[in-house]
Amino acid sequence: MTQRWRLVLLIPAFLVLATAAAAIILGLPAFGHPLTHYGTAVNTLAPALRNVSNMVAAVNFDIRGIDTLGEESMLVCAVTATVILLRGHRGEDGSERAGLIPGRANAARSDGMVLMCRLFATVVFLFGVYVVLHGTITPGGGFQGGAIAASSFILLYVGGGYQPWRCVLHSPVVVGLEGFGALAFVLCAAVPLAFGYAALQNVLPLGTWKDLYSGGLMVIVNIAVGVAVTGSFGVLLIEFMEETRAPKGHDEKEGA
Amino acid sequence: MIWLIGFTLLLSAVSGALVVFSRDPKRQVYAICANGLVLALLFFVLQAPDVAFSEIAVGTVIVPLLFLITLAAVAMHKKPQ
Repeated sequence: MTQRWRLVLLIPAFLVLATAAAAIILGLPAFGHPLTHYGTAVNTLAPALRNVSNMVAAVNFDIRGIDTLGEESMLVCAVTATVILLRGHRGEDGSERAGLIPGRANAARSDGMVLMCRLFATVVFLFGVYVVLHGTITPGGGFQGGAIAASSFILLYVGGGYQPWRCVLHSPVVVGLEGFGALAFVLCAAVPLAFGYAALQNVLPLGTWKDLYSGGLMVIVNIAVGVAVTGSFGVLLIEFMEETRAPKGHDEKEGA
Repeated sequence: MIWLIGFTLLLSAVSGALVVFSRDPKRQVYAICANGLVLALLFFVLQAPDVAFSEIAVGTVIVPLLFLITLAAVAMHKKPQ
């Protein structure tokens, strides 16, 4: 295909796409008036139907829970594919030390910084757990809390350096968290099915409004998502970080 | 309120432009960090604190770190000249 033909094709394609995009943009609700019919319906019905005060959680984990199951599977699949790609290319060998970029200084960390990072890592992790547990009451939920909890791992790395970080994180526990969270979500969908209800049907007692236990099955789904997201990000971080290990036998080569 | 929204929108445009116009990959990563922080602020101003949470954790912490690790791995495995 020559350049002229490409240009000739581009013009009608651009015209069609531009008119379609313009029609969609003009049809959007005005800025600052975001309440659609669906949103209004959820806002009026969900507090009475599900006893939760965070409508986003009600939509994500109950009313449209099956969509979230799909998203959760996509996250787990993406992380698994990354692990296969990186580990398959790298192999399991390599020393447990961090590698060095040639010509860059490698200063030791001060004790104060290590202490601060450990303290803040704990605080950030606890805050992530808090956000997960209060998912049905206040803004936040499984994904947000899981991502916050996983970012505390990075503070551990910043404070401790590569080796202690690897000791803590390079364990079957983090991988297990990812798989266990995803499995718990699938079970939440499958167990009601087995008893003749719809998938993800809220079969548990709903609890009290604005209580830590409110929303029935939503609480379990929310925690499952939080656990899975923490595990997924943890696995992702360790797999990426393993790329910066010193290759095995590096020392001998340096000495020779 | 409308001024706050306008200001954060302007900030996000400026920080987004910084990401595009910085040529050094490492500076670009830090620009992504700043852009993520501004976006989180914008989401917060637009009353979506849960989206702001995810944006802070993913956009300003995890994604830039993965980029930095990738850059470090590339620099480490580069053949010495």
